[in-house]
Amino acid sequence: MFVALMEQRPQLMTRAAAGDADSFAILIEPLLDPGYRLAAVMLADRSSAEDAVQEASIKAWRKLRQLHGDVNSLRPWFLSIVANECRMARRQRWWSVLKLAEVPSSESTTEHSATSDLHQALLKLNPDERLPLVLHFYLDLPLDEVARTLRVSPAAAKSRIYRAAKRLRSDLTLEEAF
Amino acid sequence: MPNENFRRELGHVFEEMTGSPSAALPDRVRSSLANLPEQRAPFWIAGVAAAVIAALVVGIVVVGNINRPQNRVLPVGVPTTSPSASPTPDSTLPVFVCAGGSAQSTTPAPAVAFIDALRIGTHPGYDRLTIEFKNGLPGGFELRMQTGTTFTTSPKGDQVTLAGKNGILVVIRGADLHTNYSGSTDLKTGYAALVEVRQVEDFEGVVQLALGVSGSACYSAFTMTGPDRLVIDVKG
Repeated sequence: MFVALMEQRPQLMTRAAAGDADSFAILIEPLLDPGYRLAAVMLADRSSAEDAVQEASIKAWRKLRQLHGDVNSLRPWFLSIVANECRMARRQRWWSVLKLAEVPSSESTTEHSATSDLHQALLKLNPDERLPLVLHFYLDLPLDEVARTLRVSPAAAKSRIYRAAKRLRSDLTLEEAF
Repeated sequence: MPNENFRRELGHVFEEMTGSPSAALPDRVRSSLANLPEQRAPFWIAGVAAAVIAALVVGIVVVGNINRPQNRVLPVGVPTTSPSASPTPDSTLPVFVCAGGSAQSTTPAPAVAFIDALRIGTHPGYDRLTIEFKNGLPGGFELRMQTGTTFTTSPKGDQVTLAGKNGILVVIRGADLHTNYSGSTDLKTGYAALVEVRQVEDFEGVVQLALGVSGSACYSAFTMTGPDRLVIDVKG
């Protein structure tokens, strides 16, 4: 089914660009999961992450002309909209508070304790520092897609990934990060 | 291999943070796309509509701020036992947070923001603590809810127990409570919800205020400017 979808993507994009919302929904459906994971890490709140992805989908549909039918740029373009939506959600939430959804349980298992330091270190990064880490280490995007999502050059993207990763593990070398 | 270990550990942490999206998300997105109004209207109509909406929003905000009561919090040392003149909580205020353990935020800030007033006030349905800063909002705030009202002072490490049933710890980074502030650092309010406010740290740019609350520690926190202040409302 995935292969079939990949083959159909140019036609779906053409139809979506012509105003067919169903085609657009089919196109972005495989991107909702990575979009959600990105948002959940940036916002540290699962429910807000789903809201952000929904809102980003609507914005992507409204701005689809920006892509000029380039189906290969759809994923980084959509993820960059999700990231922007998360930034906006955070700004809005500052008028109330920013909630940390997943407070570590005091009944953590041994397995959890092994990664808890990393977890805490990750939560200390600001969301824009977490973003390149999610894209590179979690969503496994190639460097050029990370760069397009961040809207920076590949060299700058590499630098951001390394800088953020080094804040998690100070002895990390460049070779270990890539 | 170190790289793979790091990637695997990080992936595990990310997985813990995110879980999976709900199965309903694709339907939710599809439905929201299907219910959008026809989007191919000429751009100038969208521009005019955006300008009108922006003007309305600005107008509402300006009028709202003019009409908003400014003196809803009372000076420290003058706790009140009667409600203020404001009859109901402002519906524009943020909702109260009851679940979960903590909240935080960071903002661009001066090196050290000097707290120059702690004010408390009581209102129908909530009690308010206002922390006022002289030279801009500090770098970060964090609010942590806890069961019980025993807190540890820093840097001494003494245990102090406040009045009330549950606690909220307010951590303010990049601030001090001694340069401009000379009032009490232990306020017993006599209110229904927020019963005590006590400084438990003022050291190396970190101020921690412990709040003793009588109920479930539902709170709402937000900042205001002119003057810069952090406002914490505790639900009654």
